[in-house]
Amino acid sequence: MSALGTTSMTDPVAEDRSRTKVPRRRRRPIRLSKVLISSAIGLVILFPLFPLYWLVISSLKSTHELLQAPPSWFPAHPTISAFKEAFDAVPFAHSFFNSFLYAGTATISVLVTSMMAGYVFSKYHFRGRNVLFWVIVATMFMPPIVTLVPLYWMISRLGLSDSYLGVVLPWLANAFGVFLMRQFIGDLPDELLDAARIDGASELRILWRVVVPLMRPAIVTLGVFSFVYYWNNFLWPLTVLETSSKYPVVLALYQLLSFNMSAQYENVVLAGALVASVPTIIVFLLSQRVFVQGIARVGVKG
Amino acid sequence: MNLISRNRRGWRQCIKPFIAVAVVASGVATTAVIAAPQVGASSPVTITYLTHWGPTQVNMLKADAAAFHKINPNITVNFQAVPFGNLLSTIDTQGPSGNGWTIAGIYDLWLPALVDGGLAVNAPSAVASDVKAHWPTNLVTDVTKQGAVRGYPNEVDLYALNYNKALFKAAGISKPPANWTELVTDAKMLTVPSKGQQGFGVITDWAAGVVHPWLSLVDSDGGSLLTGLKPNLTSRAAMAAANLYAELVKAGSTVATMSTANAETTGPYLDNFTSGKTAMIIMANWWEADLQTAMGSKFSDVGAAPIPIGPNGTKSSSVSYSWLTIVNGKANSAKQAAAWKFLQYLNGPTSGKSGSSGMGDALISMGILPSRLSDVTAHKAQLNSPFLKVYVSELKNATPFPTVLGGEQMTDTLQTAIESIDFGTASPAAAMKSAQSQITSILKSANS
Amino acid sequence: MTAGIQSAVSFPSRRRGVGGRGTRRSRRLHEGRWAALLLSPALAIVICFVFAPIALTIWISFHNWSMLTPITQMPWVGLSNYRTIFDDPVFRSSLLDTLVYVGLVVAVTVPLATLIGMLLYFPRNRLKGFARTVLFATYVIPTVAVAIVWGALYEPSYGPLAEMFKAVGLSAPAFLSSPSTALVSLVAFNIWQMLGYYTVLMVAGLTLIPGELYEVASIDGAGIVRQTFAITLPLLRRTTTFVILIALINAVQVFDPVYLLTQGGPINSTDVISYEIQRTAFEYGLAGQASAMSVSLLVVLAAVAAILIGLMRARSR
Repeated sequence: MSALGTTSMTDPVAEDRSRTKVPRRRRRPIRLSKVLISSAIGLVILFPLFPLYWLVISSLKSTHELLQAPPSWFPAHPTISAFKEAFDAVPFAHSFFNSFLYAGTATISVLVTSMMAGYVFSKYHFRGRNVLFWVIVATMFMPPIVTLVPLYWMISRLGLSDSYLGVVLPWLANAFGVFLMRQFIGDLPDELLDAARIDGASELRILWRVVVPLMRPAIVTLGVFSFVYYWNNFLWPLTVLETSSKYPVVLALYQLLSFNMSAQYENVVLAGALVASVPTIIVFLLSQRVFVQGIARVGVKG
Repeated sequence: MNLISRNRRGWRQCIKPFIAVAVVASGVATTAVIAAPQVGASSPVTITYLTHWGPTQVNMLKADAAAFHKINPNITVNFQAVPFGNLLSTIDTQGPSGNGWTIAGIYDLWLPALVDGGLAVNAPSAVASDVKAHWPTNLVTDVTKQGAVRGYPNEVDLYALNYNKALFKAAGISKPPANWTELVTDAKMLTVPSKGQQGFGVITDWAAGVVHPWLSLVDSDGGSLLTGLKPNLTSRAAMAAANLYAELVKAGSTVATMSTANAETTGPYLDNFTSGKTAMIIMANWWEADLQTAMGSKFSDVGAAPIPIGPNGTKSSSVSYSWLTIVNGKANSAKQAAAWKFLQYLNGPTSGKSGSSGMGDALISMGILPSRLSDVTAHKAQLNSPFLKVYVSELKNATPFPTVLGGEQMTDTLQTAIESIDFGTASPAAAMKSAQSQITSILKSANS
Repeated sequence: MTAGIQSAVSFPSRRRGVGGRGTRRSRRLHEGRWAALLLSPALAIVICFVFAPIALTIWISFHNWSMLTPITQMPWVGLSNYRTIFDDPVFRSSLLDTLVYVGLVVAVTVPLATLIGMLLYFPRNRLKGFARTVLFATYVIPTVAVAIVWGALYEPSYGPLAEMFKAVGLSAPAFLSSPSTALVSLVAFNIWQMLGYYTVLMVAGLTLIPGELYEVASIDGAGIVRQTFAITLPLLRRTTTFVILIALINAVQVFDPVYLLTQGGPINSTDVISYEIQRTAFEYGLAGQASAMSVSLLVVLAAVAAILIGLMRARSR
């Protein structure tokens, strides 16, 4: 925890609003600094937005307009033909269902396993607990490429190559989830749990009835994080899957990229990229406040 | 003390049943997989055909498979299409289990390793006789490893000098360069920096695109890449070609930053040629389809000519390579038999239009040269187009790229050397010397 | 969610020796059982699919294996793979490329995240929340899609970035097409993708700094710059170290953009280690060497992480 004892962990989003009332910048003439700051913030907004803007307008351009040099900054005759072509070329629609299945299953499993493991690591005491915890957390550092070959070998020996289970099996638990849950559950006062124990509740009941309801921000944070991570995961499904009907969205997009050679199909590929980006952006926007806070908390407590 | 050890023991005891369950579960799963019943010859068989082709050609193959299914209702052929950049890794990862692909279209350079790994099984005698009877000798040799035919050759590819006739006319050059001296002069005349126009384009970021055109120049100077398993990169011809590139770069006729290729072998180098910014480039016949789509009516500006001959060469000789379809040796016997049956049909004269094979039709639709002799006859008209004619006539002079173990790594190493000449980060002598020593050890360890 | 003040005594069973659930002994056994049960799913998955493959990778690194033959028939070669890869100029250059890439990413992103974090935290501005959302949003977009967009942005002939350079009279850099600029172009890609995430972490760190410190400093006459260097940056050190660690892990794992956009080139200038491993295993069929590379990578990472974590923990004491 912070060395500055008395500071409690508050909502960083709301926090700064109170902070700005501290009158320490009134030395400078207000107007100039406000203009500078506004432009700086404007730049900060432009930085992520410009490529996204380019993505949107390019996918609305016609093939002919795409090949113009210098490029046009707004489509002259916006058309959705690129989107239609993208959906025709690869089984995009079905791939959304697949992605949802993979990411959804993995997310639920990660939440359950992380919650249980986090509870044990933060509230139980046994020999070697800390060592075991840090060993598990250490695996977060490992680049996935390192275990790709043996992992694939294992999955295919189990007869699970090119199957939904084969894709999802290694995803059923992850170290980051355990790490996050242990940090969040560690905040719960032990008295709460002991009170429930005295009342005769079993550990499972305590977990379900006491811990989980208090973990809503953690669940949202870990849930969104996992969902986005597994939705966007490229290398593992690429290695395991063969049939294109089982492809998640990112693989369908990769197929689209490869089957549309040369520059005049760039609008089709970009249209596909746009469509592929939408789901995770929506999930993010819906949960944004809680999710961003949660990530921030992990950072602070880490 | 007592308490702690009691607790630990308790802990371990609790884990035990769980571990036991896990072990039993995986044991059951594995046994189930291993004990999967072998399919008899007359029961329905499903096989998978792995290819890197795009949707248009895959649909053509699917139609052929449907027609085949009518004749052989027991055999169903499914198709798995992956991007080219992913093809080899898919072959490698999903082949050994035997449950993945049954047929794969492979690049001949990959054949030796796949034969070694048991993934490219011997063709049955009926198929072997079919191949020997209907394909030119050099291609039959190409698909024969360790004394047995390993599959059906399908496409054969080679290189030629592609040039933009309109740009030539504008520069006042009447015909394409026939030798290296003319190449250098013409390239200089065709370089117009103000228009961003380069005289002679090269390719970077894609191994075959870098190495094959360069090697074609070496072959056209009377040189060769390997003698047995020894590279000849410091030989006279290789050094001459390296110096040629350095000269073109120095004169500004070759601008390396215009040469990028992406993972799917298209990209800026292609776009620069189709938009008239590159006057000449050595490229393969199969990009005809891309050129036609990108240039539309302007495709008539594209001319093809034999590789310019070097100062010590007597004739033009392009690099050639081929693709073939193999059958997975790890698949069960029923699947293998079904696969050969389908391939025999697909490559035979009944599956396509007017005496061509289904494979031949698919290849021609991409501007690729079919290799079966009857297909070449069946598609005479298309092969006689002004563009393809040049390639077809140069086929007999082509030098096949050596298919040896370690060939992939060799190509990548040579690519690095040539690219460093393209970008001017190394002198030709240094680049070739380094490549020579690296490739010598690569081939030695791969073939030991 | 209650505030996080840790209870002074952290061992529940010690405080409740009697009543409720029986003796201490059976309490511990009981706890032990539950610990095992609740921990086992996560532990089993991590053991099976993380530790076991790592062990296998280490094992394979001492053999030659093309992946086409059964794993039980691999010939043993001892340390020969390690010798080969460290003799190989391509592997050494991939280590260098990775080092440069990671170094650039961390050196640019962390200060930038700090600056932007301060910008989005201290001043009063209506657009702050929107800026934070938009900046973070880049993190959730699939890397494949981001790679496609940036491939289009970096296009030499009809790309907007080239156009912008020409518009101000500069000649457009070659971006992905030249060995001198390709790696930096990929660094820019990573920065774009991850900046929002690290900025959020920085802002969180900023919230821990008590406002009183700034008040006191400002009364003493310190300006913004002085306050930043005397208060903000030192007190951000723990967060900064954490962000450096996260950025490092993320940067070392880079694969998708290299695979999709440059394939390690030109002239292996973007041949980062993960790409080199994938290429060696799947294109050259040298899984033994690839595993040796993986193990070397793990060793280096472990060392670096140990140093950084040591730093972090030292700070908090």
